Amino acid sequence: MIEFLQGVAGGLGDGSVYALLALGFVIIYKSTRVINFSQPAFMLAGAVLVSYLVGPLGFYLAVAVGVLVTAMLALGVERVAVRPMIGKPVFAIAIITLGIDIAMRVVVNGFIGTDVRQVGDPWGLASRPLLGVPVQERHIAMVLTAAVAVALLFAFFKYTRIGLAMRASAVDQEAALTQGVSVGTVFALSWAIAGGLAAIGGTFVATGAGADQQMWIIALKALPAIILGGLDSLEGAVAGGLIIGVVESLVGTYQADIAPWLGNNFAVVSPYVVMLLVLLVRPYGLFGTREVERV
Amino acid sequence: MTRRPVKLLAGLAILGLVSAGCGVGRDDGGDGQTGAGVTSEPCPKAVNQDNGCIYLGTISDLTSGPFAALAVPITDAQKAFWKRVNQQGGIGGYDIDVTRYVRDNKYNPETHNQVYQEIKGDVLGLAQTLGSPTTAAIINDLESNKVVAAPASWTSAWAFQDVILESGTNYCFEAMNSVDYGVEQRKAKSVMAVHYAGDYGEDAAAGARIAANKQGVRFEAVETEEGQDNQAGAIEAVASKKPDLLILTTGPTDAAVIVGQAAARGYRGMVIGTSPTWNPGLLASPAAEALKAMYLQSGPWAPFGSDTPGHRAMRKALGKVEPNDGYTSGWVWSYPLKAALEKATQNGNLTREGLLEAVQSLREVDYEGMLPKEAGNFSGSPNQTTFRQSLISKPDESAPSGVTLQEDFFVGSTAKGHNFDKPCFE
Repeated sequence: MIEFLQGVAGGLGDGSVYALLALGFVIIYKSTRVINFSQPAFMLAGAVLVSYLVGPLGFYLAVAVGVLVTAMLALGVERVAVRPMIGKPVFAIAIITLGIDIAMRVVVNGFIGTDVRQVGDPWGLASRPLLGVPVQERHIAMVLTAAVAVALLFAFFKYTRIGLAMRASAVDQEAALTQGVSVGTVFALSWAIAGGLAAIGGTFVATGAGADQQMWIIALKALPAIILGGLDSLEGAVAGGLIIGVVESLVGTYQADIAPWLGNNFAVVSPYVVMLLVLLVRPYGLFGTREVERV
Repeated sequence: MTRRPVKLLAGLAILGLVSAGCGVGRDDGGDGQTGAGVTSEPCPKAVNQDNGCIYLGTISDLTSGPFAALAVPITDAQKAFWKRVNQQGGIGGYDIDVTRYVRDNKYNPETHNQVYQEIKGDVLGLAQTLGSPTTAAIINDLESNKVVAAPASWTSAWAFQDVILESGTNYCFEAMNSVDYGVEQRKAKSVMAVHYAGDYGEDAAAGARIAANKQGVRFEAVETEEGQDNQAGAIEAVASKKPDLLILTTGPTDAAVIVGQAAARGYRGMVIGTSPTWNPGLLASPAAEALKAMYLQSGPWAPFGSDTPGHRAMRKALGKVEPNDGYTSGWVWSYPLKAALEKATQNGNLTREGLLEAVQSLREVDYEGMLPKEAGNFSGSPNQTTFRQSLISKPDESAPSGVTLQEDFFVGSTAKGHNFDKPCFE
């Protein structure tokens, strides 16, 4: 039982990181209909920034500055590489984001160099008992941080004018435009938020063993999460991320004993299996908007 | 207006093709026979303006592939190595150029083959071909064209390829020695190999299995995927079965995740990682305590900060760099190629055939103390000539690359008696 609960706790920790990354994908998708494949690069950039800033600033301030700078970086990338493409097919823009991802990672890799970079978090691998189950402190921190970030984000969309404007342009860009919403600002802001979330996610990923040049791949775990939750649903991104995290963790813990015939490392593909199963029942994901198309 | 640039481009392209065609089989007209990749003109930015030039290609993982953090220092060390050779006068009237034909394989076999085809006609051999699956994509071409190449990988398959000039022992013997060490010195009764798929991880796991069977101890192999987020299964296996000895063949961060998390769940066994599992940055990671307590690192040669003439020459040639054993590897891998080039120039046959003949006649190589001379024997069957000694280091914050030597070159009883008639993972 303890093993099970430990698996769930670890899964929720990793899952909340996936949720943060998934939120970034969804926010950009909602406002621009583009899947932003450069999220992995922003995640890596954020973690590496924190690893450089942690020396002079200490961990918490370093994370704050790192998130801010990564958000500005995303803003800049949107302005330079994506804004001129508005009105072009979203497919073309998505491919551009792929290029941005590779180019940015090459630059960030230069800053990683030959070492594994550490973010200097205060938790290490220490555990503390939570309802009798030893849970790693960093997993608790991940869940709490993600919860706060999600709450802030939802409040932002619900209660602020610009949040309302973002929701309006997500529903109908032209109508929002006629109502005086600056769609350009909405695009820019959605990129900045996604960049900031990716930086938080990246920092948490790096708390385990550090950031190396390969860390970016983890951001792609957000893809099954967003498909599972529904591409255009913020709630879906959070739920999807958490489900993927827990499924992966539990499959990793039990599969070798319960179902060895599935082969080695079934945990790695389990997120995609869950995604496929859900899509069979709900083609638009758990929370996605059902699109009505006339045939 | 728009037509002209197109024509100009087309013209340039044709010119390029023609000149590339001419590049094949340039002749220097000097003493002895020469072939592709050897010119009587000096190298670009030559150290010795009177010397001709031998061009060697480098195909490495230089930007976005998974081994870039190792590949860049490997490549830099080789540039420093050959620069030193040139500063010492070159080889037989030639300087060696390893800077003109450097290509990025992105660790993709197709790209590897593509860039190899681009430079093939212009180089005598390859100063580096990084990776096992990538090199496998060109191995038939290398063999049929007799292009001698120094690998940047340690799979046991290279012993069975004439054109590959491997140095040091392979993953298979390294793992055998580690298991022998764990069982004989530390009385391990159970061994687990956690490894990647492919001929890095599987080669080591095969070696560990052979040694465990020979020693009569329990053995289990657990294959794992790359990625910090994909280690749950491996951690579970280690933490629940608690092997006395854990042999790791992964990347550094994955190794730290496995050791750190397993330790957090109470694992206290002995861990020996093959050389690519280590990175000095891990000593600052949350797993540092666990690593310092349990981890040892096997390797084919002594770490960066060691005190041999070769190590000292390497550090001097590199100048001020962040210590990393990628440098050590790149440097060591260059010695046999240097010896072969020396032999080929002595024989007066600086063609590809001549170089391959020179390789096959090498009975020893002067590694300036970084490896014993007999490690450079390429003149017999793999079972007779393959070097089987490895060493073991332990984490040490004060050492330049984070590890210091614990066990100098040794060969365990399993490796000594193993009949090496095929690659271990086959």
